[in-house]
Amino acid sequence: MAAPSLWEVLDRACNTGPVMATKDFDMKIFSVATRLTKEYDIKYDPKTPVTIDDSLADDAWNAGLQLFTEVGAYCMNSSRVIKFDESEIKQGLKELRGEAIIGEGSERRILKLRKVEDNSPPSIVCGGVIESNFPEGENFVKLYQSIAQEPLIDGFYVGPPLQSSEGRLVRSGTPLETHLGRSMVSWVREAIRRAGRPGLHFISACTSAIANIAAADPNEGLRRSDGIVSTIMPELKTDYENLNKIVYSHDYGCIKHVYNGGMIGGWAGGPEGALIVSIANAIMAVIVYQMSVGASYHALGYLRASTPNYSAFVTRPCLWGSSIGSQALSRNTKIINTAVAMTNAGPGTEMQFQEIVAAICASIPCGREGLSQGARRFKVVPLLGSGLENRFWGEVGHAMSKVKRDFANSLAEEMLQKFEHRITRESDGGPLGHTLDEIYDLKTLQPRKRFLDVYEGVKKELEDLGLEF
Amino acid sequence: MTKEEEILQNLSDAVQSFDSDAAIDAAKASVEAKISPVKAIEEGLAKGLRVVGDKFEAGELWLPHLVLGAEALEAAVKVLEGHMAIEDLESTNRGTIVIGTVEGDIHDLGLRIVASMLRANGFRVYDIGCDARTLNFIEKAKEVKADIIAASSLMTTTMPFMKDLVEALETAGIRDQYKVMVGGGPVTEEWAKAIGVDGYGKDAAEAVRVAKELVKK
Ligand code: B12
Repeated sequence: MAAPSLWEVLDRACNTGPVMATKDFDMKIFSVATRLTKEYDIKYDPKTPVTIDDSLADDAWNAGLQLFTEVGAYCMNSSRVIKFDESEIKQGLKELRGEAIIGEGSERRILKLRKVEDNSPPSIVCGGVIESNFPEGENFVKLYQSIAQEPLIDGFYVGPPLQSSEGRLVRSGTPLETHLGRSMVSWVREAIRRAGRPGLHFISACTSAIANIAAADPNEGLRRSDGIVSTIMPELKTDYENLNKIVYSHDYGCIKHVYNGGMIGGWAGGPEGALIVSIANAIMAVIVYQMSVGASYHALGYLRASTPNYSAFVTRPCLWGSSIGSQALSRNTKIINTAVAMTNAGPGTEMQFQEIVAAICASIPCGREGLSQGARRFKVVPLLGSGLENRFWGEVGHAMSKVKRDFANSLAEEMLQKFEHRITRESDGGPLGHTLDEIYDLKTLQPRKRFLDVYEGVKKELEDLGLEF
Repeated sequence: MTKEEEILQNLSDAVQSFDSDAAIDAAKASVEAKISPVKAIEEGLAKGLRVVGDKFEAGELWLPHLVLGAEALEAAVKVLEGHMAIEDLESTNRGTIVIGTVEGDIHDLGLRIVASMLRANGFRVYDIGCDARTLNFIEKAKEVKADIIAASSLMTTTMPFMKDLVEALETAGIRDQYKVMVGGGPVTEEWAKAIGVDGYGKDAAEAVRVAKELVKK
C-alpha cells in the first residue's frame, strides 16, 4: 500500500475530514499529550541541555508518533480533522528518500542524512536573516551578497516581506506583497550573481501563498532548485494559505521547506508536551505537506504571561527539547531536518554568538542535517542582520560536527551560564545588536575590525573550551 | 469552616482543578445555601481563576489550563446567572473587552494568553480570534457594548492595521466610546503613541494592569 497522495490529503483537508471546533482539537492535543508524557515518563531536566540518553529520544519519538496517530492534523479554514491510520503514517515515513537536492550548477548540494554524533559535516548551512525589516533596493542586495559570499553558506532563507514595495507600505497578504515577493527574489538573484554564485539555493518566505507563487520563474525568479517556506501552525494545524504553498511547490517541483515545532506552555503543555508535539508536527510535515526539507524548532518559545523569554528559542528548556527532538528524528526517521533558532540578542554581539553556539550544540551533534538562520526574534530596527553571524553559524556548525554529545552538553551549559541572565524583560530579551552598515564597510562589503574582534574573541574562547575549528 | 466558606472553597477548587462538573455542582450547592451569587463568583470562582493565572505566570501551569479554568468558571456562572439580577451580574464584571489579532496575521498565542489573563482578572472578554478585520472589531464592540478594544499584532507588516482601527473609529464618530489598547511582539510604546491609542502592554501582566487603568478613567 502506498502512502496517501497529496490529492488524497487535500481531499481530507477540504472535503471529507470530520468537522471539529478548534478549541476541541486543541484540548484533545492537551489531554493526549499529557497522558503520553506520563506514560513514557518524559520529564524536563534543566541540568541536561543536551542529552546523551538514547532511550529518552526513542521514548519521545514513540510518544510523538502516537500523538499524531491519535489526534491527526487540523485545517483551520475547513475546521476539518485530517486523520491517518497507523499504516498510512508508517508507509509515509518509509517512503522518505533521506535526501534532498538543492541549488544548481556548481552550487548544487545534496543534503544527506546524518546520524547522532555523525562526523560528516552538516550538508547545508542555511543562513539568512529573518525579520530583517530591510529597506528595499540596494542595501537589501548587499545584505544577501554579504551572506552569499561566505563560502560555507549553502543556501539561505529570504523573508519575511520587506516593509515597502515601490516605496509603498506593504501589509501582509495584500497585492503589494505579491509584487514584492517577485521583486525580492530578483534582488536576491542579483546578490548571488554578484557573489559569483548564481546557482545558490534560497527559500522564499512571503506571508501569502500568491506572493511566493508570483516569484516562481525558472530563469529570473524562484527556480525549481530553490524553495518555498510553509509552516505547520502550533500545534498540528494548517490552513489554505499554507496548503496553497505546498500544492504549488508540488506542481512546480521546487523544494518544500517546512517550518515546524512545538510551543512550550502552549496547547501541549510544558517542555515535555512541547517536545512530543514537535515530533508529531514533524510527522505531520511528512504526511500532510510531503516536505523535502524540514526546519524543526522542537521547543520554541516559552509561553508565559510576563517573563522575558516567552518567545525566545535559545533558552534552557528549548535546548533540552531541541536536543532530544533532533535525536528522536535522527534515530527514527529519514527526515532531512535543519535547525532554526532565533536569538534573543542581535547581530554583532557576543551574546548572539554564544546563543548560536548553544543552539548548534543541541542540533548538529544530535543528528540534524543542517542549520537554518538566526536573527533577533523581534523588536528590530531596519538593517539588522549581516553576513557575519552567518559565517559564524557555518564555522561553528562544521566544527561541532566533530564533537560528541557530552562535550556539546558541557559547552551548551557554559554558554547558557554566560547569557541566560541577560535575557531580561527590560532589554526585550537581550542587546539589540548592530546594523549591516555598522558591522560592514558597505564599499568593500567586509566586516569592520571591531566586529571581527568580537567574532575572533568568541572563537578563541571556544577553542580554549576544547572546540577545534 | 462554615458551610458558606466550604462552598466558596469548593467553587474555587473546582476552577483550580479545571473541573466544570464540580463547578456546576458547587454552584448549585451555593444557590441552595442561599449564598449571594455575587459573592460566589467573586470570592469563589474568580478567586480560583486568579490562582490559575498566578500559577501560569509562575510557569507552573500552561495555556490550556487557563482555558479550562475559565471554562469551569463560565459553566458555574451559567447556573448562578438564573438566580441574580442583571445589575448584580454586571457588578461582577470589571469591564468588557473585545480582543483579536489584526488582519493578515494568524499569530494567536499571545492573544489567547492576554485574553485568558484578562478573564482571570474579572474582565468579560470576547475573543474574535486571529486575522480579524477592522470592521469586525468595531461591530463586535458595538454588539457587546465594550469598554475596551484590544488588538494584537505579531508582524511589522500587520501593525498598520492597528492604525486603521483607530481611523475607522474616528470616521464612524465613535472613537470616544471605546478605549483602545495594543500589544504583540513588534509593537512598542512609541508605536502606540504614534497611532493614538490609549494603552500599550508589553506582556499579559501589563495588559491586565493597563486594562484596569483604562476602565477607571
Ligand atoms: C509561533 C510563531 C509562529 C506560529 C504562530 C502560531 C500561532 N497560532 O500563533 C506560526 C508558525 C504559524 C507562524 C507563522 C508565521 N510567522 Co511567526 N512567529 C512565531 C514566533 C516564533 C513566536 C510568536 C509567539 O507566539 N510568541 C509568544 C507569545 C506569547 O508572545 P506575543 O505574541 O508577543 O504575546 C505577548 C506580548 O506581546 C503581549 N501581547 C500580545 N498581544 C497583545 C495584545 C494586547 C492588547 C496587549 C496589551 C499585549 C499583548 O502579551 C503576550 C503574553 O505576554 C515569532 C518569533 C518570536 N520569537 O516572537 C514569529 C514571528 C512573529 N513570525 C514571523 C513570520 C514572518 C511568520 C510568517 C510570515 C512565516 C512564513 N513565512 O510563513 C508566518 C505568518 C503567517 C501570518 N499570516 O500571520 C516573524 C514576523 C516578522 C515581522 N515582519 O514582523 C516573527 C517575528 C519571526 C521572525 N523573527 O521573523 N509564526
